[in-house]
Amino acid sequence: MRVIGVYNIKGGVGKTSTAVNLAHLAAESGLRVLIWDLDPQAATTYYFRVQAKVRGGSKKMVRGKSELGDLIKGSDYPNLDLLPADFSYRKLDLLLDDSKHPTSQLSRLLDPLGCEFDLVILDSPPSISLLSENIFHVAEALLIPTIPTTLSLRTLEQLYDFLHKQQLQSLQRLPFFSMADRRKTMHQEMMQQLPRKYPEFLTSWIPYASDIERMGIHREPVTAFGRNTLAGRAYQRLWEEVIGRLRLRVKG
Amino acid sequence: MRECRSGPGGERNDDSGQEFTKHYNLERESIPIEPTTVDGDCMTSATATDRHFSLAPSSPLAPFLAALEEQFGCLVEPPQEVIRTYYDSFDWRLLDGGGRLWHEQEGRESRLFWSGSVQIEWRQRGAVPRFSWDFPHNAMRSMIAPLLEMRALLPQVKLHLTRHIIRILDQEQKTVVRICLEENRVAVPHGEEGSVLPLAVRLEILPLRGYQEESAALHRWLTTLPYLHKSAPDLLEEALAVTGEVAGSYSPKLHFHFTPEMSARQAACEIHRFLLAVMESNLAGVQGDIDSEFLHDFRVAMRRTRSALGQIKGVFDPERVAHFAQRFAWLGQITGPTRDMDVYLLGYCDYRDRLPKPLRSDLDPLRDFLIAHQRQEQRQLAKQLEGSEFQQLLTEWRDFLTHEASHDGGPTLGEVVDRRIDRLYRKVIKEGKAINDHTPAEALHELRKRCKKLRYMMEFFQSLYPAPEISRLIREIKRLLDHLGEHQDLEVQAEKLRHFAHQMAAEGEVSADTFLAMGMLVGDLLRQQQQKREDFYQQFSSFAERRNRRLLNDLVTQRGELT
Ligand SMILES: Nc1ncnc2c1ncn2[C@@H]1O[C@H](COP(=O)(O)OP(=O)(O)O)[C@@H](O)[C@H]1O
Ligand SMILES: [Mg+2]
Repeated sequence: MRVIGVYNIKGGVGKTSTAVNLAHLAAESGLRVLIWDLDPQAATTYYFRVQAKVRGGSKKMVRGKSELGDLIKGSDYPNLDLLPADFSYRKLDLLLDDSKHPTSQLSRLLDPLGCEFDLVILDSPPSISLLSENIFHVAEALLIPTIPTTLSLRTLEQLYDFLHKQQLQSLQRLPFFSMADRRKTMHQEMMQQLPRKYPEFLTSWIPYASDIERMGIHREPVTAFGRNTLAGRAYQRLWEEVIGRLRLRVKG
Repeated sequence: MRECRSGPGGERNDDSGQEFTKHYNLERESIPIEPTTVDGDCMTSATATDRHFSLAPSSPLAPFLAALEEQFGCLVEPPQEVIRTYYDSFDWRLLDGGGRLWHEQEGRESRLFWSGSVQIEWRQRGAVPRFSWDFPHNAMRSMIAPLLEMRALLPQVKLHLTRHIIRILDQEQKTVVRICLEENRVAVPHGEEGSVLPLAVRLEILPLRGYQEESAALHRWLTTLPYLHKSAPDLLEEALAVTGEVAGSYSPKLHFHFTPEMSARQAACEIHRFLLAVMESNLAGVQGDIDSEFLHDFRVAMRRTRSALGQIKGVFDPERVAHFAQRFAWLGQITGPTRDMDVYLLGYCDYRDRLPKPLRSDLDPLRDFLIAHQRQEQRQLAKQLEGSEFQQLLTEWRDFLTHEASHDGGPTLGEVVDRRIDRLYRKVIKEGKAINDHTPAEALHELRKRCKKLRYMMEFFQSLYPAPEISRLIREIKRLLDHLGEHQDLEVQAEKLRHFAHQMAAEGEVSADTFLAMGMLVGDLLRQQQQKREDFYQQFSSFAERRNRRLLNDLVTQRGELT
């Protein structure tokens, strides 16, 4: 079982869109995929038309009373299951803090699912918290959607600083451009500059596209309802590059 | 299982023999059993059966669909057209072994399924493998190989499936459970292209993880529908029933039900007709060189025919018997060389394994020689079997049996058989007892022939005797025969190998290493034969022990005493 986090300190940068579409493409490629919606905003859960849990789940989970597997919902797509958001995740940080090894709780929870899934994608809430530290511990790689602006450069630096301080160098970083608009000069400049500073930047990028916004209306991944749109193809290229970088073994 | 991998020189480069190497497993290897995903084939445990329903054959589909839509929000996906073909050997070995193998073609998607104690799905490219050794070393192969042995897979039953996936949706339009609904047709065997017969419409609930309640609700609702059966028949069995085909209708095994009072002639005719039918069933497979077992079964039936002709005495005109005996002896001659080559090729891995590992690849030229000659013999055999001589034998023999069966009279079966078995048994005991360490091997071969006659007689006429007793005696004679057979085969093989060595030397350049390897093999075979020879005394004594002799004596004399 391989675990990838989709993360950025900032919100509204395309984390959820990335998690949802990559999970869908991964499942289509034959991998057994679990997408875990760790954001109490429950956007991923909403896109898959699943109702978010209202209470209780996370507390039991961290206390080890409830099996994570019992909370999983099958999505409408083959090979793709979802762990829906739980509004009480707000208190998750507090709960995690309660336990003995606060940063390895997600790891502990995911372990029993090892033989059921080939790939787990974590959709995370913004900000650095105990939850995000857990994500850094359990994931082998972070996909970091980055809007090509100067502000994004700062948040990326912040994140790298943090990972460095926490001795998380082994965590692979896969930043890529998200919501990029080539007509904007600043976007163009940042798309030149940033990869020079951070050579690990993926070469594929997600353009600003209204089809992605429309996912909220369709309540489906754009790779499902608009496979051959600009956005659909961009996510496919991104997925293929991720396969290559992480040497994922996909069938067929 | 031991390994028999071909060495670096093991790959053939010329494609002349390629097609034929496939008829035998010449690269035997141990087969790993992998419980999880292996190279795209994945295994799951058997699925629950209570999710299956079927529609009564006469009830139309439309009212069900209407009722479903009224009860649940649903969405019907575009139908999928699937062609499903069940594969098995000519004699249905997989089905007999409790498994089913089928291929599904849906558009360009092609998959093989195995269903037995486990379910395996394999996304396979290209044609369906013909022999178990044509499969890659995956879990599917490890299930199939022990059942199929040397037999080829043949397409047996072809189905056209129209699959509708119906999604049941909640208020969010989220799928919470699916129904797989299949409208199936089976292709009429040997029928016109495209002619099909309808099968029952079947339904399966496909639950979705985390939506158990919704599945249960659907299940409850389906059980209330009067026109739905709460199960679905096995698809293969249903298809066979509808087309009137019987899986395993071909069996070369003897199952006669005779009574002592019936006419010996009638019984002989029944035996001969059965054996003729076995030969005829296998003929196309022999001519088409589908696998080596066709010829094997063909020859067993032929040998039994010859034996029955000779042993069931006093029922047919002796002149006619002599004529047919001569014709079937000819048939034995023309089919022998191909079978010999088959035997060497089937046993090739065992030959290799007898040699020390570094010498094994030295034997490769022998394999190539065998392949080339098998092909030659096979071609000649096919020609012979098409020829008028053989066709005439078939017609003459069929006509003769029809004629003989049409009139009664002559001795009853009890009289003929008891006496014959008694005679043969006494001779076997006498000849066997006369054999000591200095008797020439010839005597053992003669004894074997006699034993075979006795065995066939006992097998033909088992039904005349109490089951446990006759079964015990058949078991005993089979054990002795196996021993004598191995003894003789080892000798014949050693002799043949020497003969092959000369032939190979005459046909072309073969390295001295190959001859040395073959020489070792000959030595090994003869050593083993000597061992068999030394064990003979003990084997025979156990066969001829007093208890068995008395048992047989009781069987063949009881009838006289009773009447
Ligand atoms: N490439 C894009 N082009 C246009 N709109 C986008 C794009 N990516 C995301 N969006 C929209 O931006 C908003 C935030 O995106 P989201 O993926 O939810 O970000 P995050 O999870 O980082 O908060 C959503 O309304 C989404 O539809
Ligand atoms: Mg989000």
